[in-house]
Amino acid sequence: MNDGPLIVQSDKTLLLEVDHERAAEARRAIAPFAELERSPEHIHTYRLTPLGLWNARAAGHDAEQVIDALLAHSRYAVPHSLLVDIAETMDRYGRLRLEKHPIHGLVLISADHAVFTEVTRSKKLAGMLGELLDPDTIAVHPSQRGNLKQALLKLGWPAEDFAGYVDGEAHQIDLVEDGWNLRDYQKQAAESFWHGGSGVVVLPCGAGKTIVGAAAMAHAKATTLILVTNTVSARQWKHELLKRTSLTEDEIGEYSGARKEIRPVTIATYQVLTHKRNGVHPHLELLDARDWGLIVYDEVHLLPAPVFRMSADLQARRRIGLTATLIREDGREGDVFSLIGPKRYDAPWKDIEAQGWIAPADCVEVRVTLPDGERLAYATAEPEERYRLASCTFSKSRVAEQLVRQHQGEPTLVIGQYLDQLDELGEHLGAPVIKGETSVKEREELFNAFREGEIDLLVVSKVANFSIDLPEAAVAIQVSGSFGSRQEEAQRLGRLLRPKADGKTARFYTIVARDTVDADFAQNRQRFLAEQGYAYRIVDSDDLPIKD
Amino acid sequence: MSSSAPPRTLADQFRSWPDERLVALLEVRPDLAVPAPTDSAQLASRAVVRVSVVRALDLLDRLQLETLLTVIQVGPAPSDVVHSFVNAAPEAVDAALDRLSELALIWGDPETWRPVTVVAELLGLPPGPPAREIDAALADLDDRARTILDHLDETDAAGTVANATWPVRITDASTPTEVLLAHRLLVPRDERHVVVPWSVRLRLRGGRSTRERIDAVPGLAVGDRAQDLVDRGAAGAAYELIRRTEMLLETWATRPPGGLRTGGLGVRDLRAAAELIHADLPTAALIIETATAAGLLALGMNDELDSAWLPTDSYDVWAGRSGAERWLTLAKAWQENPRLVSAIGSRDGDKPINALSPGLERTWLAADRQTALTALLDLAPGQALAAGTGIASLVERLRWRFPRRPAGRFELVGPHLDEAALVGITGLSGVSSFGRALLTGDDPVPVLDALLPTPIDHVLIQADLTAVAPGPLEQEFGRQLSLLADVESRGGATVYRFTVDSVRRAFDSGWSVVEVKDFLASSSRTPVPQALDYLVDDVSRRFGTLRLGVAESFLRSDDETALTELMHLSAGALRLRRIAPTVIVSDVPLQVLLPKLRELGAAPVVEAADGTVRVAKPEEFRARTPRPRPGTGRDNARLAARTSAVVAAVRAGDRAAASRPSRGPARTPADVMTALREAAASGDEVWISYLDNHGTSTERIVRPREVGGGQLTAYDERSDEVRTFAVHRINEVRTSGADE
Repeated sequence: MNDGPLIVQSDKTLLLEVDHERAAEARRAIAPFAELERSPEHIHTYRLTPLGLWNARAAGHDAEQVIDALLAHSRYAVPHSLLVDIAETMDRYGRLRLEKHPIHGLVLISADHAVFTEVTRSKKLAGMLGELLDPDTIAVHPSQRGNLKQALLKLGWPAEDFAGYVDGEAHQIDLVEDGWNLRDYQKQAAESFWHGGSGVVVLPCGAGKTIVGAAAMAHAKATTLILVTNTVSARQWKHELLKRTSLTEDEIGEYSGARKEIRPVTIATYQVLTHKRNGVHPHLELLDARDWGLIVYDEVHLLPAPVFRMSADLQARRRIGLTATLIREDGREGDVFSLIGPKRYDAPWKDIEAQGWIAPADCVEVRVTLPDGERLAYATAEPEERYRLASCTFSKSRVAEQLVRQHQGEPTLVIGQYLDQLDELGEHLGAPVIKGETSVKEREELFNAFREGEIDLLVVSKVANFSIDLPEAAVAIQVSGSFGSRQEEAQRLGRLLRPKADGKTARFYTIVARDTVDADFAQNRQRFLAEQGYAYRIVDSDDLPIKD
Repeated sequence: MSSSAPPRTLADQFRSWPDERLVALLEVRPDLAVPAPTDSAQLASRAVVRVSVVRALDLLDRLQLETLLTVIQVGPAPSDVVHSFVNAAPEAVDAALDRLSELALIWGDPETWRPVTVVAELLGLPPGPPAREIDAALADLDDRARTILDHLDETDAAGTVANATWPVRITDASTPTEVLLAHRLLVPRDERHVVVPWSVRLRLRGGRSTRERIDAVPGLAVGDRAQDLVDRGAAGAAYELIRRTEMLLETWATRPPGGLRTGGLGVRDLRAAAELIHADLPTAALIIETATAAGLLALGMNDELDSAWLPTDSYDVWAGRSGAERWLTLAKAWQENPRLVSAIGSRDGDKPINALSPGLERTWLAADRQTALTALLDLAPGQALAAGTGIASLVERLRWRFPRRPAGRFELVGPHLDEAALVGITGLSGVSSFGRALLTGDDPVPVLDALLPTPIDHVLIQADLTAVAPGPLEQEFGRQLSLLADVESRGGATVYRFTVDSVRRAFDSGWSVVEVKDFLASSSRTPVPQALDYLVDDVSRRFGTLRLGVAESFLRSDDETALTELMHLSAGALRLRRIAPTVIVSDVPLQVLLPKLRELGAAPVVEAADGTVRVAKPEEFRARTPRPRPGTGRDNARLAARTSAVVAAVRAGDRAAASRPSRGPARTPADVMTALREAAASGDEVWISYLDNHGTSTERIVRPREVGGGQLTAYDERSDEVRTFAVHRINEVRTSGADE
């Protein structure tokens, strides 16, 4: 028995005892190849997946290192079969290589004839491959570069892409570090990406992903297409780029529902790209409108399916994906791997928090009891109505008001899903409400005012979820949420995790109606947050206010 | 060996042997002792029975076998003649001769060694033409004939031909084989087979019976491997074996897989088992078979009286023991299991071979496995079989050690070693220290105990509602915890998750809120997270709010709103009728109603007739432990006691025979057999009285050659030919020395 902090389970999870004296060392050793799945207070769970192992291979680690790391830190003997499995899985990456041939253009080359024969005969690759050039080299139709990589990954033989990139149209972009500096991890992230060619950088919300994007652009010094989730986020990017780089207003274009500008740096929304009229995507020409040298994908985990298909055709251009999590609700992590690229940089959320870049958050679940009248209504309601009934109970509004009063003077967000409820709350609290129908201009003005400290209370609906920077929100009160999705939770929390000027703890309240479906969803949320390592408390609404 | 005159017969030799030597013989050839022979004469006649001799031959190594062959070909011969033919050091050949004599395959003394007759028939080669004819014939051969001859010589094999005994003259010979036969370079063994005769073999092999020296044992290809790594790897495997066995049998106790009509376990059940224990199919099959061999799993009846595979009552005893003791039971069962587990999953014709199906027993399997493992003991601590060449070198050594073993059985050496690694006798291709103890007969338990993780009695409970046991849990504690929480991940540690359902399950089986909370507080090393407290309270608050009756199915609750809710949701489907603000009745049977209610999110309890709450715990089933197979355990002490008793009996018989005034005619069937065998061994003439086909009694003087299969083959002086007699028709035998 070895007194290590790591326990390797037969289902390929790794348990890391956090309080162990050698925990930090073990964490560093396994981080390159294992995905952190849960990080509650005592024991963190990592998982070994083929994608994780291939990511490690792409980053230059070999099976020997992985096995050494497991053996060196493991407390008990490591199941032999698991070690064999790791070696076999890692060995699969890079058996096939995509390269550029001076005469034949794009080719698929293999050092292993058996694998080569297996994949070239596969029906799934039909139509992607051209003629056989020699026993271990086959021509690939240039348009199929992405599709081929996707298909090979599905076959379990991910190809390494050495075919290189077009340089694109050169355009001078520099970082302007006046009054701020690129943080170490941001610099590392941008450099890892650049050396890797293409790939994904994983950083938590609030860690400055936009700046990593800007740094990547400064590396590329070429025309750049930035794809973001929505218009507000597009404006945010523009704002940030103007502030952090040598780019001027005239050089940055916005391509959205409202404006269609194509400039050396163009920021487009996923929505406009995937917009369909009469069965065609009229805005696809954007992708070919310029000779882009770099494509930035913001929030890769939300990348819609049609964009994947388009990205398959963009394999000759450098691509950087930015995200807080590689986990996709639709399970298409493999497509991110083959079409955007392997993970190039990853910093555990908690580590960055420990460095002081993100404010720690304190999560509180406030339980309210439905009054008898509402309970009866709830009991007899149709299932599809129940969630709304539970979410919009009057008692929630009362508690929300009470919390707002308690935190008076601190920048506070009230977040909800149902417009009636939000309107009512806005009225009671005397606060502006931002919802889908609020114009972009008005939204920006309100956000600005909030940022500047002119107003300290906003009621926001779902639209505020993604990619909007609200730097000084110290308190969030969630009155209803959309069915407890993990991703949404991360986003919401991300709102609060931005560094605070005074280093104060952000507080995240969720108000939950007891004994209803709402409580069941709260259970998911609680699990997710606890897994992310946040302190999570439950209080009864009667016990408010809680002490700090 | 006695210093007096050379023994006249094998029986004579036995009489001259000291007791220890007879004991040694009966130990290596235990079949001779059952039933106890009456005297040396009977022992000697039994020692030359074909079946018994074949068994003894299987014990020989390559050197001994070649030495025996030489004695057959050139005997009766003194030791130094044998030396000159066997390609080995004279001392080694002497040792081989001693061993052969010990096994009673040859007899005599270093002046004249003789093979027992039946050995010569089994192994002997035709003598072949004289040396000068061979040289001439060899010079005469064309390339094709020479290739055939060399091939047969190199492989020591018999060649198959259409008609071997057809006489061929050199001038008529058309095919290469016919040429060889005509020159007598090949000699027919029977109608369809030809062999290279002895003299030709010697000529081809440079005057010796083999080309290469055969006194050196082939070495093992080894590499260095730190013993503590080997031990850790093997202990990991041992721990997995115990854990997986336990997990599988615990699961099968409540949900047993059915027994096939043929007695085996269905493929689907095997797959499910493999999935359950996170193993591949061969590993799952090995675990299931080993548990059965250890008597922990057997066919029994499930609650519907169908045949099903169930843990036995000895499983409970086993489960209560320490990890190392549990391992020892499994490892021994594996060692002695005569079933060909590696064949499971392959096909026999078009029928798949199922786990636990009958017909997989192989009489030789346990011994073969044991010899492979014993050969591994030559690896010093810190050594392991070299990657790649290691197994091949082991096979080579075993081939030298057991030259008569059929080639196909050597192919199982790889699977034997794979299984040994899964069991934990080896780790990373080296022998673990506890595996070594097991193989050498020492106690592996203390060694293994130090290597296995020690059972713990606590967990770490976390805010995400999981509890992690960072090691194996004490059995009772583990059971309680798995009632309260679901197992999410297993291995060296176990991860449990608390859910509404799992907590309700604990309430269902009779725990109270206080008990649950006390258990959590006492078992967690870390403070119980607030969220878990809330979960338990939430479940308990709702638990039992609904009470449900049996006879007419009633639902009652103090919570009127809850009943309204229920009525609204399911009044139609469950045929509910509200009979009071707090009571609902239904004519749907309880068994149907209860799960439906739970589906709807209610947490009802079932109420007995007197108003008390009924608790439900899944029933566990047990089968009876099968009685151990007789003869599988090699109980050396018992064997030793038995053989010395047999030797004493033989001695007594000899004394009785010696003190008889003179040897009378043999009239009982046993005596007849003994007399005939003795005569066959010594080559003496005997007088027999024989009842022919017509019932006429005739008397003859014959020279017996072989007794076996109920037949006496003998040279009959009267007809001047070799003929056979049915032994049961011989009613009297007199040797020349016998009188009335």
